[in-house]
Amino acid sequence: MISVAYFIVQTVVILLAAPLVNGIIKKIKALSQKRKGAPVTQLYFDLFKLFKKGMVVSDTASWIFRAAPYVVFATSLAAALLVPVTTMIPSQWHAGDLILMVYLLALGRFFMMLAGLDTASAFGGMGSSREAMISSLIEPSILVSLITVGLIAKSTDLYRIMEHMKGVDAPLIHPVYLTAFLALLIIIIAETARIPVDDPSTHLELTMVHEAMLLEYSGRSLALMELGASIKQLVFITLAVNIFIPNDQFILITGAAAVFLSLVIYLIKVILIAAVIAVAEICTVKLRLFSVPNLAALSFILSFVGFMQYFVLGR
Amino acid sequence: MGLILWITPGIAVLLSRIVNNTKGLHAISVCASFVLLLTAGFATNRVILYDTLAYKLFGEAFFIDALSIIVLDIIILIGFLVAVYSVGYLNEECRHEKISQKKIKFYYSMMYVFMLSMIFAVTVKNIGIMWVAIEATTLASAFLVGFSNDKRALEAAWKYVIICSVGIATALVGIIFLHLASIDVVSSSNALQWDLLFDRAENLNSPVLRLSFIFILIGFGTKAGLAPMHTWLPDAHSQAPSPISALLSGVLLNSAMYAVLRILAIVNRNLGDSSFTGRLMIAFGLLSICAAAVFILTQRDYKRLLAYSSIEHMGIIALAFGLFTPLSIFAGLFHMINHSFTKSMLFLASGNLLQKYGTREISGIRGLLKTLPVSGTAFLLGLFAISGTPPFSIFASEVNVFLSLFYEKHYVLGGVFILLLAFIFGGIAVTLFRIFYGEPARGAAIGCGEINRPGAAVLAALLVIILATGLWMPDLLKGLITSAQMIMIGGLSI
Amino acid sequence: MEHYFDVLSVLILLSSFVLVSNKRIHAYIKTFRLQSALIALTAGVMGFEDVVNDGNYDVLVVCAIIIALKVILIPRLLHRTYGNIEYRVEKDFFFNIPILVIICCGLVVFSYFSVSNIGALSGLHINLQVVNSFSVVLIGFFFMISRKKALGQIIGYLVIENGIFVTAMFSTQGMPFIVDVGIFIDLITAVLIMGIMVIRINDQFESIDVNKLKNLKG
Repeated sequence: MISVAYFIVQTVVILLAAPLVNGIIKKIKALSQKRKGAPVTQLYFDLFKLFKKGMVVSDTASWIFRAAPYVVFATSLAAALLVPVTTMIPSQWHAGDLILMVYLLALGRFFMMLAGLDTASAFGGMGSSREAMISSLIEPSILVSLITVGLIAKSTDLYRIMEHMKGVDAPLIHPVYLTAFLALLIIIIAETARIPVDDPSTHLELTMVHEAMLLEYSGRSLALMELGASIKQLVFITLAVNIFIPNDQFILITGAAAVFLSLVIYLIKVILIAAVIAVAEICTVKLRLFSVPNLAALSFILSFVGFMQYFVLGR
Repeated sequence: MGLILWITPGIAVLLSRIVNNTKGLHAISVCASFVLLLTAGFATNRVILYDTLAYKLFGEAFFIDALSIIVLDIIILIGFLVAVYSVGYLNEECRHEKISQKKIKFYYSMMYVFMLSMIFAVTVKNIGIMWVAIEATTLASAFLVGFSNDKRALEAAWKYVIICSVGIATALVGIIFLHLASIDVVSSSNALQWDLLFDRAENLNSPVLRLSFIFILIGFGTKAGLAPMHTWLPDAHSQAPSPISALLSGVLLNSAMYAVLRILAIVNRNLGDSSFTGRLMIAFGLLSICAAAVFILTQRDYKRLLAYSSIEHMGIIALAFGLFTPLSIFAGLFHMINHSFTKSMLFLASGNLLQKYGTREISGIRGLLKTLPVSGTAFLLGLFAISGTPPFSIFASEVNVFLSLFYEKHYVLGGVFILLLAFIFGGIAVTLFRIFYGEPARGAAIGCGEINRPGAAVLAALLVIILATGLWMPDLLKGLITSAQMIMIGGLSI
Repeated sequence: MEHYFDVLSVLILLSSFVLVSNKRIHAYIKTFRLQSALIALTAGVMGFEDVVNDGNYDVLVVCAIIIALKVILIPRLLHRTYGNIEYRVEKDFFFNIPILVIICCGLVVFSYFSVSNIGALSGLHINLQVVNSFSVVLIGFFFMISRKKALGQIIGYLVIENGIFVTAMFSTQGMPFIVDVGIFIDLITAVLIMGIMVIRINDQFESIDVNKLKNLKG
């Protein structure tokens, strides 16, 4: 009974928090450019507006085009449920582990790439091929860093990993966790299509990857795609936050109040990481497409070095 | 008194920065090296009488024993002869307007910094300071190699600096492992002192010591010219001015080999037998001789050929020390002395050739014995000597090396060694002997007669030395080499 | 405390990876500066520990020398050297950057297999630190041979020396003081000499591409 209630709470929190992260990042970027910028809740209004509008669908599109937004949204939300949002809940159900999470997100990305190709527009195809290259380069890093952490915790279930990490004091001072965390930060940037990998606010052919695949969508489909993308972003940020900085030991009360408090702390941590991503976006420029493998290589060595440290320090 | 060895080159450097008169500079240089010669004589006397020469300054930093004194004497004697030769060489270069007086100042100051660093390397007890001094020799000689500032010289100097610095950095890794091996045995205030390490050698950590020997052999072997790390040597020794080539070939290679020998002694004492180090040293030695043999055949530049011959002789020395029997150690030490004198004579003679004919190509030189009687004879006899012909000294030491190979029943190695030496003799004969025949091309322009009078005297002196040591071993020398040999073995029952 | 040294050794190793994946001279010098700062920090922490335990100021003095030399003086020298030469970005490599990075990963694995489990190293933490530092030395060697320009070779040499210093510090708590000072004097002289040579090579050959230094062969 409690698990079902918690299940619903997690879904609601994720759905509500996801557009907030986008808003915060955009606000910080605007403030750094000495503009007032759109309000933080802008994406909510945009999604609301889009849900009310009708859709324009190309005649040459197949069922993939119509199905893709639902698949993307569903896989993102499913992956989000596999990641612990509060640190107060012990691992009660084992519906899936980190490998399932990574590949659910991969399924969503696959459908997005197909949808980009589906309408036979030049931009869509170009976006899909670029996305294929970037995601295939980033995937080894995700798996190596998460599996290293899982090897230490002796499980691939994210809840159990979180439990283990709660027992490690100051994980970021430990070489293995530090390198995995840094690798995860680069992965966040690559997977959520942020500068320096991809520019989320451009529609120029030269620079867009993620936006290119969404170009043909309108109305409700577009809203679902956008929401799916922001939920994916939140999933990665939650991974970074709750696995590497689960500093909830000071909550001594138990029960529903504890869960509420830990959710608040979780939101604060998410906002912090969103600020870090925004600062990274402000300070760097978008890389040339063929320089993205260099960034991916850097992320890979971070995770590999983390693995080597684990290997040397003792299995 | 021994500290004069450190102070004199320092004073020479300072004075050569101040004095502007060419004659004055030459005088300073010759006097400084003469003073060094006298001090070295004094030090040798003390070492023969008392076994070591050490002063309590800086915790016995200054330390000479029989092994160091041999290398030190070679350094200083050849330094003196080179200083005398340089007088005539530089005057001739000035006459041809090739270098300015400022350059002569630079030459002498750098040469004495170089001498100082080499003397420093062999007179300290602390292995870390020895490393610092050997790195300093690379840096001090870098600009001397690039002295003529043209494209080839710069290329040679760059290769020299980079390859030797990297090699010496590898040696530093080895020294760190040596320190690690000795960390429980020697207190940290006495760390890396050679005599303490040698006395307590059995207690050092063997696997780490083995690792450190490999790094040190590769590192200092780069500086000593062992193949396959020898690639800087032909370039540096051929592009440097000839007196500097003589110093580099005759003296610097010995100092680097000396560093390897110190660590070799410790490692062999620790491991109890010499098979581990022996295999490595013999392998590098044979590889060097092979590489030299192959490249000598195809040389067109006589100074480069002499440089490859240095690689060959360093290989022979490594081979001798790899065997590590009393006879082979004696032969190795004797060979170090003989090679230094013979090679210096050859390089100094080639300096005269270069000044007379103006070309480094073998094909550009003909009728040498007519145009340069003294240098030509010295060069011819030196070539015979360097390829191991009796009655010169190199023959004596090489014979001892093969004898020790055959006594240890390494028949195949001995056979290969003799074959390679014959190959090298053939190579030198084929490429070089033609320069002695024929009429000098451009006959009138060249003219006959020695240019460099002091240089000719030096060559004659060296010729006498190598002939004498080949025919007769003075008791003094024998005693000195035997004590050095005893130091290296130090109680190993071989 | 061991954890801090572990983390510092990992960060030093990571800085050498960042160095390999760079293409601009400016970035090489900046990354070298970062690496030297990390090493100075390690030396400082170790020196501080020494002062508290034994009352020895040696390692702290060495830390001060590192800051003065490697963080401030040598990068300035290198900037001045490359200011005389007109080249900013390396445009060609033998391999592209991801392959270089993977080869460096291979070097880390190699260093693990050769250096780990040296009997004299007490404990897993020091093992890890020595593996990391030795990998920095190997990556420095690799950096030298993978660059076509002379300035890259100087920086590779400096990284090798950095790695050797850190290995010495982690495995034996530093070399004897006088040896350390001698090493630093040698290092600064070597950089000065190499810098002057690069300028001369640039004058004679009109470029600092080491592939053009091909006159002496055979």
